[in-house]
Amino acid sequence: MSDVQAETPTVADFARTFRRIQAEIHKSIIGHEQAVEELLSALFAGGHVLIEGVPGTGKTTLVKTLGLALNLSFNRIQFTVDLMPADITGTRVILSGEDGRREFTFQPGPAFCHILLGDEINRATPKTQSALLEAMAELQVTVSGTTYRLKPPYFVMATLNPIEMEGTYPLPEAQLDRFLFKVRLNYPDEAELTRIISSTTGPEDAGIEPIFHAAEAAERVEGLKRLVREVMAAPAMETYAARLVRATQPQNSRFVTDEAKAVHDEMVNRYVMFGSSPRGAQALILGAKVRALLDGRANIAREDIEHVAVAALAHRIMLNYAALSDGIDAAHIVERVIKSVRAAKV
Amino acid sequence: MSFPSQDRRADEKLGQILRRVGSVRTRLNSLAWQHAIFYSLAIAIAAGAAVFAMAYLLSPLAFLIGGSVLALLAVIGIASAVSAGWRMRKSAVNAAAIADDRAELKGRLSTIVALADIERRGPLWSYLVEDTLGRHDEFSASKIERRRVSRAVYPLAGALVLAALAFPISKIKRPPVITPGNGQDDLTVDLDDLHLRPAEPGDESGMQVTADPATMRRLEDKLARQGAGGADTNGNSLNQLMNRARDMAGSLQNKLTGQQAASKQRLNLRLADAGRDQDQNEIHRAPDTQKNRHGEMAGQFKQDQPKSHHEFDLPPEDDSRQPKSQPSPGGTGEAGLESNAGKDNPNKDDSATDRSIQQSGENSSNGGEAHGIGADPDSLFGAPATSKLGNEGFEIAIEARPIDHGAKGAGHAYVPPKVRTPLSMNQEPDEPVTRAAVPADDRTTIKRVFER
Repeated sequence: MSDVQAETPTVADFARTFRRIQAEIHKSIIGHEQAVEELLSALFAGGHVLIEGVPGTGKTTLVKTLGLALNLSFNRIQFTVDLMPADITGTRVILSGEDGRREFTFQPGPAFCHILLGDEINRATPKTQSALLEAMAELQVTVSGTTYRLKPPYFVMATLNPIEMEGTYPLPEAQLDRFLFKVRLNYPDEAELTRIISSTTGPEDAGIEPIFHAAEAAERVEGLKRLVREVMAAPAMETYAARLVRATQPQNSRFVTDEAKAVHDEMVNRYVMFGSSPRGAQALILGAKVRALLDGRANIAREDIEHVAVAALAHRIMLNYAALSDGIDAAHIVERVIKSVRAAKV
Repeated sequence: MSFPSQDRRADEKLGQILRRVGSVRTRLNSLAWQHAIFYSLAIAIAAGAAVFAMAYLLSPLAFLIGGSVLALLAVIGIASAVSAGWRMRKSAVNAAAIADDRAELKGRLSTIVALADIERRGPLWSYLVEDTLGRHDEFSASKIERRRVSRAVYPLAGALVLAALAFPISKIKRPPVITPGNGQDDLTVDLDDLHLRPAEPGDESGMQVTADPATMRRLEDKLARQGAGGADTNGNSLNQLMNRARDMAGSLQNKLTGQQAASKQRLNLRLADAGRDQDQNEIHRAPDTQKNRHGEMAGQFKQDQPKSHHEFDLPPEDDSRQPKSQPSPGGTGEAGLESNAGKDNPNKDDSATDRSIQQSGENSSNGGEAHGIGADPDSLFGAPATSKLGNEGFEIAIEARPIDHGAKGAGHAYVPPKVRTPLSMNQEPDEPVTRAAVPADDRTTIKRVFER
């Protein structure tokens, strides 16, 4: 059980706790180091994560393990085409009281938890997908005119299966934008696969040990999230993040009005339909703050921003058909944008 | 909650960091100013050296164009160097960012400098200050920027080397200056044979013209006539502008090369009037009648015949100079002088001209046995001369103004010799053999002898 101090965490506490959680997760998740780090970064930055990966790469296991390690409440929703919003948020049902009277009582849905896994979220209809919007953005759900608060920390992880697109509903851009990071889980290499086989086909359990006590886990996680917000960002770093985001916007976009000091990359103009929203800049800075704490710093650096740029910006960039036909993905665009902004002396 | 003593200590630590950043900034800005100053000096010195060399090597017009282009480039270069130095100046935040990059402090310094003035500091501020101060050895000014002297000192050194090289080049190219007293500074020219043309500005020969007042008046009349005639041909404004520009460039060249002062004493041109009595034409150097005509005249002179030498009352110093001033036949040509004898005296036949040139190269006498030596055998025979051969002069066409400018580069100044050596009491002037009619029967034999 946890020996992490319950007082106001320090920079060293944060890094130590983070590494311990990572270690616990990797007891059951073989490989995917970067994905796990980004997942935890999004958690402590107060965001949500969209996990994209082919089947069998450990998406569900990852989320489950995280819940166990943090000792937080955990729910899982398998999104299907017939899933209704009420199946997520909950609904009012008629229940008999002790006195025999029947009355409508709100029955919380699976959204009421600390960690929610929306498995294959793109299989549900947009209406159902949208049910998560309010919960993700405002930590509340409204059912029949009544608003119910969700207990922090609230962390949504949605998975996408990129290869079974038939009968799926691509996520609306507004919902995509609400995910802080998009994490990609690739196939494991041979060594990782061998370890996966040996660790999952034997009799013994992975033995995930919770880092926090159940009673204080939520508060501890919230304390670490507050610490992340205290990390300092120099104006130059904020400017750099803003330039990166602006550079993802194509020059010919009708939504771009101020061209001053904007860095334009030819690839962006050619392949990008819509660039990142301002939420992308927020994600850059928050993710960079987590990175800074992990490095034992109380300030963010340009390297921190660049480190999280693909995870923070790629899913916010809408590519056009030319990009699809040329096999260009958003991560490639983000990397080009970083090079362009770094080279530009605005 | 923080105590005042804690805040004071935190401020002291912050002050230490800011002072170190300040020293880094000072060094970076020092290099920026050095960059501007050294590059400006390098450009100025290199351009000055090039202009100096051009003053020796180029003609006035080429010097004007080249110098103007070079001056323009130098001004642009200096302006850009100063501008670059100005842009290289660093603010405290910029200096901190550079220190972050070079010491791999990952934005610690720039964050501290940027947020030092903010009132509300978060709970991690003291951690940031402590953490950064713990790395103070990594961001000392000497570690962030080792150089105290800008690399721009190398171009400056190169420019100095260039300037040092330009000086001997100019000395090598500098033409010899004719100084008075070496026997080459006097020249007597007949006014009728003096051809006037506008001199190239900058070709100031330093010629001093002396003559009696009547001759000087004639010279002025002649100058006026030539000037009026030349106004028609050079009347267009473009030529005037060009001449003015050349004049300006020439004077600048002279200032740079320092040749003007030397050329002022280069030559004394004594004018003689052939239409008047020779005795009266003999003009002595007199300070009250000297008049400078620097760079305005070029002409030809007619060397008087030896027959009349005894009539001249030459100053003693002329005799002493004569041996030095005897020209060689090739020397005339090497000096770049033109022979205009035939042009100036169209009535004289070619054989006479040839004879006179030959004689001038061998000795100071003419006529007598030497008459006709070297003549074309085809023109040996003609009508007997009726005129007294002893009166025939020979003419050597030269420019009266020595060409000794670097811009010309042609080489040596030619100063014609003094030939009017008075005869001794026991010496009689040469009597040339008069040409006689040759019998037709002997002509073939004589011609064969000459051809041989």
